[in-house]
Amino acid sequence: MNSLNLILCAAAIAALDICIFVLIITAYCEKRSSKRNWHELAHDMELAEQDIIYDLGCDEVLIGRHASADIRLPDLSVSRYHAMLTVSNGIWTIKDIGSKSGVFVNGNLIHETILHENDVIKLGNRRLIFRKRRQERVR
Amino acid sequence: MYANPVAYVFSCIFVIFAHSAMLVNIWFNGNFSEPRDIAILGAAVIILDIAYFVFILFFKQMSYVLDFLLVLILNMSVIFQSCFICKFNFKHYITCIVCLAASKCGYILCKNHKILQDKKKYIYGGIGFLLLLVLVVYFAKHDMWIRIGSFTLQPSEFIKPLFVLACATSIADQQKKHKILCFSVVYENIALFGLMAAICLVQVKSHDYGSLPTFISIYCVGFILRICYPKAKFSKKKLIAVIAVIVVFLIIGLKYAPEYVQHRLHVDIWSDKTGDGYQQSQALIAIANGGWFGVGPGKGFLSNIFAYDNDIVFATVSEEWGLLYALMMVLTIIIITAIPLFNPTRSYYHATMSSCICAAFIVQMALNIFGSCNLIPFTGVTIPFISSGGSSLLVSGFMTGMLMAGQSPVFNVANNPKSKSKPKKQEQAVPAWRWKE
Repeated sequence: MNSLNLILCAAAIAALDICIFVLIITAYCEKRSSKRNWHELAHDMELAEQDIIYDLGCDEVLIGRHASADIRLPDLSVSRYHAMLTVSNGIWTIKDIGSKSGVFVNGNLIHETILHENDVIKLGNRRLIFRKRRQERVR
Repeated sequence: MYANPVAYVFSCIFVIFAHSAMLVNIWFNGNFSEPRDIAILGAAVIILDIAYFVFILFFKQMSYVLDFLLVLILNMSVIFQSCFICKFNFKHYITCIVCLAASKCGYILCKNHKILQDKKKYIYGGIGFLLLLVLVVYFAKHDMWIRIGSFTLQPSEFIKPLFVLACATSIADQQKKHKILCFSVVYENIALFGLMAAICLVQVKSHDYGSLPTFISIYCVGFILRICYPKAKFSKKKLIAVIAVIVVFLIIGLKYAPEYVQHRLHVDIWSDKTGDGYQQSQALIAIANGGWFGVGPGKGFLSNIFAYDNDIVFATVSEEWGLLYALMMVLTIIIITAIPLFNPTRSYYHATMSSCICAAFIVQMALNIFGSCNLIPFTGVTIPFISSGGSSLLVSGFMTGMLMAGQSPVFNVANNPKSKSKPKKQEQAVPAWRWKE
């Protein structure tokens, strides 16, 4: 194998390396824009409980006492699998998935209902507020 | 439409740059008899690159990186396959275009799981029909392929994306537990287990043992994600139990495997160089012959061996382009499967689908590469995107489309006119603990 062939082979490998590197950077850029896009899709909502804020990061959010729940509320009045939040067409819906103490939205016992901004959700003894995501304060 | 236009422009340029570097290597270093063939190959590859970049502008997606990776690997495949025969491989080129079209079909079909969830019965029906077709083809012709002109189709390959869809659509029903005797069971899990058993039986009956590990990997990943739904910690006890079950099934499978499979497991390729160890021994010699930088495109001897372009394609690429380039090719496929790690999916459905597809791609690739290198018995499974074969490329493209769907999902409920006319009866909301008179 002469040196020209070796150089050409090495150049082809280097070109592929660079291309893969550029595509990885593109994937990283997409990660940020995708996160922004998700906030738009989910109408930038979050659940808040006093000082704790729960991010709604996917289209199905399970709330319960179990360690596997997306939003874990370690309280005996909350069932292991209590309620499910789902988003479709940009609208968030809460559904009772067989809880013992029921799901109350603004004081009304519900099985499934559409959530609006500043709705108060009561699961057992815990109260959560469904609100717009707030930007972190810059000091 | 484009969220990252600068990054996309650079991606397009560098994909064309990578292909151009390969073409220059062929021009100076290749074994093509006529320069016209290289010109045709170069024009075809660059035109396909540019045409696809223009084509994807019509699709409103959140992520395009998988499109760039797909066209990169497919055109690499066209270049490899053309070098093997020292002229432009038109058949493989057409198959790659069909693969790109299949990826877009996969994306459109799978981007909205809320629609797909209602069509679950069609998915199960499709798998049933394909299993029946596999059996009919095997018993009628003692063959695994349906031949249409110069194109061949392998029905069992098409079961893979449908099985992935079956695993993914079942994830949402994990909360629907039913009490049978003293066990609380999920009907979906029983249905999937039955489906897996039926697939295994049909594959064994039709002597297609190579695809079995791929199906088992899809099922295992789907099963693990189902028992971890939504994101439970996978306990050590469960892990040990799952591994133990797999090992038991593996031992039983090996013990009762047919004679030719058992022989393949124990064959010493160097003492049986002209028999069962022929392809593997030649593949190993070719990899060693190629070294780090290869002997040059089209100059290898392995392209005279049977199944050089699919079953031992890794060795053929290693010989002609060098081990480094072959490893970079593998890395490109690994990055395709790793994209969901860069940009996590936003639903359990898409996460399950992506994980199952990644498992299928990785297992297929491992079986081919390790089989070529004599680390495991030779199975004859193809490397996704690289090996020639209509069904394999079509299915790989469709499955990449499913990965794209996970990157650019849609969460809209279908406007079903039937559901408008008959509104669903509202269930009464009563807490279970409340005492009723």
